[in-house]
Order: sequence, then structure tokens, then C-alpha cells
Amino acid sequence: MEPDAQLVEKCIRGDGPAWEELVRRHARRVHNLCYRFTGNSTEAEDLTQQVFLRLFRTLPSYQSAQGAFPTWLTSVTRNLLVDHYRRTKHERMTDSIDDAMPVLEERHSAARTPDRLAEAVELSQQLQRALGRLSPELREAVILRDLQSLEYNEIQAVLQVPEGTVKSRINRGRIELARVLKEMGVRPA
Amino acid sequence: MTWDCTITEDRLSEALDGMLSREEGAAYMAHMASCLHCQELAGQVGAMLERMHRLEMVPEPPQLSEEILQATLGPREQKHGWRQWFGWTASLWQPRFVMGAVTVAASLLIVVHASGITPGKFRRLDLNPVNLLRTANRQAHLSYARGVKFVNDLRVVYEIQSRLEPAQEPSIAPTPSTEPPSQPSAPNPREKSEKKQPRDRSQLHNRTMFAVVLAGETTDLPNAILSRSAR
Repeated sequence: MEPDAQLVEKCIRGDGPAWEELVRRHARRVHNLCYRFTGNSTEAEDLTQQVFLRLFRTLPSYQSAQGAFPTWLTSVTRNLLVDHYRRTKHERMTDSIDDAMPVLEERHSAARTPDRLAEAVELSQQLQRALGRLSPELREAVILRDLQSLEYNEIQAVLQVPEGTVKSRINRGRIELARVLKEMGVRPA
Repeated sequence: MTWDCTITEDRLSEALDGMLSREEGAAYMAHMASCLHCQELAGQVGAMLERMHRLEMVPEPPQLSEEILQATLGPREQKHGWRQWFGWTASLWQPRFVMGAVTVAASLLIVVHASGITPGKFRRLDLNPVNLLRTANRQAHLSYARGVKFVNDLRVVYEIQSRLEPAQEPSIAPTPSTEPPSQPSAPNPREKSEKKQPRDRSQLHNRTMFAVVLAGETTDLPNAILSRSAR
């Protein structure tokens, strides 16, 4: 598989198939990040399109010395998500957060029995609802670390905050999330 | 280094992610061994993380990449012919959907077969619930009867085979040699079989007698039944 940096170079030179490959390779990651953060499938789809439109325009500004391409892409996505969050803050306060939360799917769920599957879906819904009750700063830190599996230094690059702040946000986010889950009566797995 | 509950609350994630130094890790473990509050906190957060790490990526909508490419590269090359009409089926070729479709088809096949509907000779009357029930009942009885017959046939075949096999053994034994014995001092291995022969013959005789008796019993069996029923 061709490395991202080479694909980006080709894209900058106007290579259409390279751009197509880049989109297909990263669309799922970007969509997931938007989906976890907003909790709404339609919004996530729109935001993913916006991310790639912005990426298409700003791709020439990417330099591999800045860091890995996925980290840079996550950074672009996160900035767009923050903008979106600020823009829609008022609308969201009037909505029920429970309605907006998506259903997370559990790995290897196909191999489970219907009972276990139903239990897993319920637990996932509870987890997603609990995530929605965190502040945006803590939520994005937890999502980047525990759902997008980014390293601490990558999160630092995405959020553009000091390492200590990243550690603190991840730690507070996790403890807060565990506390919310306990309040909701969710048993430890 | 001393570790207390406040430090646990500040640095629990670093401990769970294995980012503490050796000295810090030892202090953390020592504190954990004695502090129930911190044990409970670490247990809750650890279990939650385990659950979160099991969550998988949600698949993006199938048309998303295509829409992005259209928005960035302009209108894409239009598909012509049958691809234009059946292009939407590409999104159906997912393992989950295919498995579901196969299961439904297999279930339908079983139901149709059990209800006795033949696709070539289908009539409207076949869908009458009474007819469906009757046919299903008939099919069930037929299947059961075929199964019973098959088992019985097998039993008879094995019975005949087990009776015949011992009777064939003597024919496998080597034929007696017509050559005169060469040296009395060097025993020929064929002599052993010759010595065995009388015993084999007597066995064959016994079995033949058994077969004759059995045949006699079988021929007398209808008479025996008749005489018993007459009583």
C-alpha cells in the first residue's frame, strides 16, 4: 500500500486517482470521529464531507515534517468539529441528548447469541449517553484516546495543547465517564 | 516515593496506560494494595476502558466516498448499461446481508418442501391452510416411514451378512496339498492347515446343520402361529 505522504504529493500535483484513494482510505476514520462527537449520523455524514472539502483546499499546506498525515487529518477534523459545536450549541440545548446519541456497535458482536447481543447494544447505548454528558474538552480527549486509539503525543498535536493538559483531560474525562456510568446504574463489564 | 489517593485521581490514566516510571509504578501498586477507595476507582475506570476498547468503528454510509469525490473532482463518469440499473446492488454484498438472505432462502425451501408445493405444478388450491396442513402431515409420516424402512433394511442386510461371513471362512482356508511330505524332520507349514482341516469341516458341518434347523423352524413358523391362534 502506498504511503499517505506519497499520495498527498500526487494529489497536490493533481492526480485524481490518488485523491480517490486517499478519500477511500480515510473516510471511515473521519466519519467515525464525527459520529462519536456529534452523536448523529446525518450530521456526521455532512461534517465528513466538509472535512474532505476543506482538506482538498488545504492539502498543499500539509508538510510531512509537521507529523503523520492521519494526525494532521484528525486535527483538521477536530477543528471543524469545534466550529460546528460552537455554531450549533444553542440548537443542541433545546434537544434531548438521548435522541441524538448513536448506537455504538460492539466488536465481534456477530458471534454472540441474541441475548448477549441485546445486552451489548444496551451497554453501548448507555456508554454513548454517558459520553454525551461530558464537557466537549473531556469528551474529545477520551474519544481520541479510547475510541480513535491515538497516542498522547498525537492528541497533543491534534488539540494543540501542552502534554500535561492532554494527560489531565484524558484522566478527568475517564474518571468522569466512569462516575456517570455508575450513576446510570451500569455494571462494570 | 509516597503515593496517596489524590495522586491516584490525578494520574490514574497514566498508571492504566503504563506511563509511570518504575519507582512511581511501585508506589502506585503499594498504595493500591492497601486502599479500597482507589481499588474501586481503578476497577471502575479499567472496566469502562475495556468496554470502550471493544467498540468497533461504525461503517460509513456506502455512498459517502462517492459524494465526496463528486464534490471535489466534479461529476464522475456515468455508468452505462446494466451497471447503471444494478449499481445499487453493490451495497448489498455485505457478509451480514448475504448470510441473512441465504438463511431466508433455505428456510423457505424447507417450508415449501414440507408443505408439498411443487413449483412446476403449483395450484391456487395448494395454498389452502387445510391442504397445507394435510400435506405437511403426510410428508412427515412419509419421511418417518421411509426412515423406519431404511433402518429395517439395514438391520436385515447386517443380519444376513453376519450369518454368511462365518460360513465363508473355510473356503478362504488353503486347499489341501497333493504333494507327498518331503522330510519328516522339517515340518511343512502347510501341514498345520491340513491338521486344522477336520476341525474346520466339523465347524462347517455344525453351521450347515444350524442353517437347516433355522430353515425348518422358519417353515414351521406359519403352522405354529396358526395352531396358536386356533387355540
